[in-house]
Amino acid sequence: MNFMQPITDTVLQVHDLHTHFLTETAVVKAVNGVSFSLKPGERVAIVGESGSGKSAMAMSLIRLLAYPGKIVSGEVIVGGRDITKLSEAELNGVRGSEVGTIFQDPMSSLDPVMRVSEQMIPPIMRNLGLPRKEARDIAVGWLDRVGIPDAAGRIDAYPFEMSGGMRQRVMIAMALSCNPRLIIADEPTTALDVTIQAQIVELLKNLTAETGAAMLFITHDLGLVARFAHKVGVMYAGKIVEFGSAADVFAHPRHPYTQSLLRTIPNAAGAERERLLQIPGFPPDMRNPPVGCSFRERCAAAQDRCAVSTPELTFRGVDHSAACFLPNGLNDAPAPPKPVKRAIRLSNEADLVPQQDILEMHNLRKHFPGKATFPWSKPKTVRAVNGVNLRMRKGETLGIVGESGCGKSTLARLLLGLDEPTTGEIFIAGIAQMVFQDPYSSFNPKMTIFNIIEEPLIVTGAGTRPERAEKVRALIKQVGLEESYLDRYPNQLSGGQRQRVGVARALALNPSVVVADEPTSALDVSVRAQIINLLCDLKDDLGISFIFISHDLLTVRYISDRIAVMYLGEVVEYGPAEDVFLKPAHPYTRALIDAIPTPDPAIEAQRSINIISGELPSPLNIPTGCAFASRCFKVTDRCREEKPVLVAHSQKRDAACHFPL
Amino acid sequence: MAITFTTPARASFLLRMPKLPGMRFLAGNKKARLALIILVPILLLTAFASYLPLQGPLQTNLRAMMQEPSFYHPFGTDRMGRDVLARTLAGVQVSLLVGFSVATIALVFGIVLGTIAGFFGRTVDRAIMSIVDIFLAFPSLLLAIGLVSIVGTGLIPVILAIALADVPRFIRLQRSLVLSLRSRAYIDAARTVKASQWWLMSRHIVPNTIAPLLVAGSIAAANAILVEASLSFLGLGIMPPSPSLGNIIRDGQLYLQQAWWISTMPGVVILAIALSLHFLSDGIREALDPRARK
Amino acid sequence: MLTYSFNRLLQLVVTTLGVVTLVFFTLRLIPGDAASAMAGETLSGEALDRLRDQMGLNKPILIQYFEYLRNLVSLNFGDTITTGLSIGDLLLTAIPITLAIAVATIVLTIIISIPLGTLAAYLAHKGHKTLDNLITGTAMLVDLMPSFWTALVFLLLFSLTLGLFPASGTVSLDEPVAFLHRIALPVLVLSVTQIATMARITRTAVLEVLSEDYIRTARSMGWSELRVLFRHALKNAALPIVTVVGLSFGSLLNGTIIVEFIFTIPGLGSLLVNGINSRDYQLVQTLIVFYALFFVSVNFFTDLVYKRLDPRVQF
Repeated sequence: MNFMQPITDTVLQVHDLHTHFLTETAVVKAVNGVSFSLKPGERVAIVGESGSGKSAMAMSLIRLLAYPGKIVSGEVIVGGRDITKLSEAELNGVRGSEVGTIFQDPMSSLDPVMRVSEQMIPPIMRNLGLPRKEARDIAVGWLDRVGIPDAAGRIDAYPFEMSGGMRQRVMIAMALSCNPRLIIADEPTTALDVTIQAQIVELLKNLTAETGAAMLFITHDLGLVARFAHKVGVMYAGKIVEFGSAADVFAHPRHPYTQSLLRTIPNAAGAERERLLQIPGFPPDMRNPPVGCSFRERCAAAQDRCAVSTPELTFRGVDHSAACFLPNGLNDAPAPPKPVKRAIRLSNEADLVPQQDILEMHNLRKHFPGKATFPWSKPKTVRAVNGVNLRMRKGETLGIVGESGCGKSTLARLLLGLDEPTTGEIFIAGIAQMVFQDPYSSFNPKMTIFNIIEEPLIVTGAGTRPERAEKVRALIKQVGLEESYLDRYPNQLSGGQRQRVGVARALALNPSVVVADEPTSALDVSVRAQIINLLCDLKDDLGISFIFISHDLLTVRYISDRIAVMYLGEVVEYGPAEDVFLKPAHPYTRALIDAIPTPDPAIEAQRSINIISGELPSPLNIPTGCAFASRCFKVTDRCREEKPVLVAHSQKRDAACHFPL
Repeated sequence: MAITFTTPARASFLLRMPKLPGMRFLAGNKKARLALIILVPILLLTAFASYLPLQGPLQTNLRAMMQEPSFYHPFGTDRMGRDVLARTLAGVQVSLLVGFSVATIALVFGIVLGTIAGFFGRTVDRAIMSIVDIFLAFPSLLLAIGLVSIVGTGLIPVILAIALADVPRFIRLQRSLVLSLRSRAYIDAARTVKASQWWLMSRHIVPNTIAPLLVAGSIAAANAILVEASLSFLGLGIMPPSPSLGNIIRDGQLYLQQAWWISTMPGVVILAIALSLHFLSDGIREALDPRARK
Repeated sequence: MLTYSFNRLLQLVVTTLGVVTLVFFTLRLIPGDAASAMAGETLSGEALDRLRDQMGLNKPILIQYFEYLRNLVSLNFGDTITTGLSIGDLLLTAIPITLAIAVATIVLTIIISIPLGTLAAYLAHKGHKTLDNLITGTAMLVDLMPSFWTALVFLLLFSLTLGLFPASGTVSLDEPVAFLHRIALPVLVLSVTQIATMARITRTAVLEVLSEDYIRTARSMGWSELRVLFRHALKNAALPIVTVVGLSFGSLLNGTIIVEFIFTIPGLGSLLVNGINSRDYQLVQTLIVFYALFFVSVNFFTDLVYKRLDPRVQF
């Protein structure tokens, strides 16, 4: 297919781009022939898992690749010039003024020892040829436009004096300040909380619409693509395997990879849930990319010719193309993978063993002393958990959701006995175990997988050596790994395999409650599905109660029976998962749900989204009234003075709000 | 994600010897190999010095004074006709003994006291660290000079004096390692099953500090060799006629113009030893940190 | 800032007291006291006792300790035992000489090592390995040369063979030109090692900063490599460099002892070595305390500079 269009019509044209990382031992072929183009005002998303080459591709466009990355061939046309052939000086004339770049991590992307003004004003002076005074006015104008309160004053702040969300706004203001026609945004919201992410996405949408700049948006989040992009390119193993209008690609995906990817996302509704699709195998080693289609080893529809020749992008309709020999991808397979249904206990009270509480928390509080300004002054207190009452029944999965800093992880540490509560009590029938967020750091690198799983058994003195070995082998099989993995070290396992080992270790002592703190957030989408399926199976097979802590609301909804929503150390809403999602009672729950993009452009287009304003207040200064008052759209004077308590809102639901929805 | 091993193929046979991780590392790392290429011949020559066709290190020969380096005296002879190579090799013995002993003492005390300070915190930590701070207030050579001036000269006092300057540094290093490891998630994981303090320390914390300590240890050995040479040079370390690299150089100082080799050759040897120990430490560090292998 | 400085100053005072106490008691607790150690076997019992009286060694040890502290605070260091000269006067003539050598070395080191280290870091960052390895390798080699050996080699080369600098002779601050000419070679010897150390540290610090995200941000705004390197990278790398400058001051002090000894320069180092050789404990004790205080104070000030450079540190 030919992407070449009249130059006047395009802001960016990429033609057969190849980027390699020339390491000492091998050549990593990160980008393997990518072509696409952007028109003015267009928002194009490039979506892919880690290692797909999407970031290397984005950085190649403006030659910001770090050594040993190198563009080996291809063209990148911006403003009629080929970026790959420009001299360093010419390139500096393009960067900033013609192409603005927004990076992933706002915490590290601004110079920590320079004021915002020192970072923003000189580029404006240089690129627009303005004196300092006027450049400063422009900078302040941009900061104001991206929603920095008191922009004229805050421009002289240091980045560390701002929150992550504010820093990303500064980054955006900086990228746009010299009126570039193209903006490259590399995972600009990944490091941010859901509510802030929604704000930033809305901001980017409005700014591109106002300025007419085109935007290339790199992400791994299909939901964001659906909410944000006009067009989407799906990257796999250094190539774009499907490209087209977002609506079309989501409604009728044609490439087997896109089709699989869309079915790995929890899409919950109704009494039955589809078991998440697991993509078998691993992406290819990019030091030695396979001949033929690079997805064929993981593809149910693979044929002989896939191993011989490489499918190119071909038209599948207006503005839609895919790189697969089969017109309909997996749907043309001899035996297309059928959706597997699994029953879900939707708040079905009868299903749960009546009155058998396995866990109770009474008025649980954890206050950390803050840093005192002077040795003799009284330090302020951080109220991480501020009066939590929850109970859990046997076999139930409780989801705990909230933004970072809401106290959900501290709550987990209290449950596991890693921290002592300041006040309050915890009763657990049996023992609680934990599955950690980052499995790698939760393993001692000097221990084999066998030793890691065996450790809880040794420490508690369970069984003889042969009995323990027996148990370890049973556990590793239970989480779907082969016994041969027991002799390996953690660094020899993939992310998904490690998390399976993490689950096996948590199960070693036959716990009654397993606390999983963000167990999937460090994993790629396709691997995430495997772990979620595993946890669901264990819940069904073993009757273990799970506490699932996450900021990923779609997953929490998929896996949980009940949900507790936390805000500033308190539970503000509690009830059956589906009920809470379908009809939230607390304005904060509503705001959280609105913030989550659904991976379906059709739904996204119709949603009326109330984006929550403002950010989480500091847990050092908790307001006297309702903690959420500062951000609530229904706030009244009563909310600011009188603190609402968690009371029964309906038969099955509790909410802490004076004016529930 | 693909799992790969980056060990060169020629070292693959070593992979089958899991009991010898050190061997695997030495064969796989360029800098470690370079270190061994320098260090092993020096060690061999030193160990078998008495079998070499050389004069004894103390044996004088008034008929062959201040002779230039030649086949029979590769490093030349000094003012009393002693063979500089033989003396240098004897000096290397002293140097290596000092380096090894100092590193061992520093490691042992560093591990014990640093772990105690880092793990128990509070009063114990404050007590240990305030003493450490006092010792760290002295530049290392100065501390050694001061101690030698009190305890006297000779091999053992020199070793103790240099070690005393290094122990506080190792305590501080071990303490910071322990502190950073104490907040690792795998410590939390072990704590959820109520593992004892002893278990956490012996199974999870100390084993993970060994490698970075070895990196520091080989640098400390190199440094100790340099300090011993400096002390002996100043006439405060190993006293003549017992040879030490430092006092050989001191001997030659007066005859720089007439016999440059007396002072120069032992210096080159010190440099070679120090360099190889640093390479070794770099090699260990690179083997530990995959990011350092560019 | 004020609170921090105050706390840090308090710590400085505590450490200082610790140093003084440690030195005092170590010297008093050695088997056989300072008087007998000093006198060797030459004095009779009676004469030894007189010496003890003279040195105040017959008083209770705590009284001696407090007298010692009082004298220190009032800057009364007493007289040398062997020659009977005022230690205070000796210090006053020796300090400016050592200080001149140290300051000259520091200035020379900073001027050369920081650009050199930055250059090496930049070369490494861009993948120019050969040049980087050359600089880094040379720096490592020089860094590891024993300073007394370097001094001898330089002496042989620049002084004895080429005759560029005097190897001995009087040292007097009254003749600045002659003085500078006389200390030039010692300063050069010290600087070579210090430059090697600092260049290696600068390289590591700058290289680390160059891979930070905000460097990429600066590039994305169209700044030239030179500006990125010196405005952004070096400014951030300055923090770790300053810390190391403070710590490497210790090795600089070590170095002054050695070069003063070799080049026979009457600074603090020569005073120390002579004191030890003549077993003058009063002098040695004062000098060791003095060196330690000097070192601790320098670290105190570099710490404050660090805090000033880093806006992130809250006070």
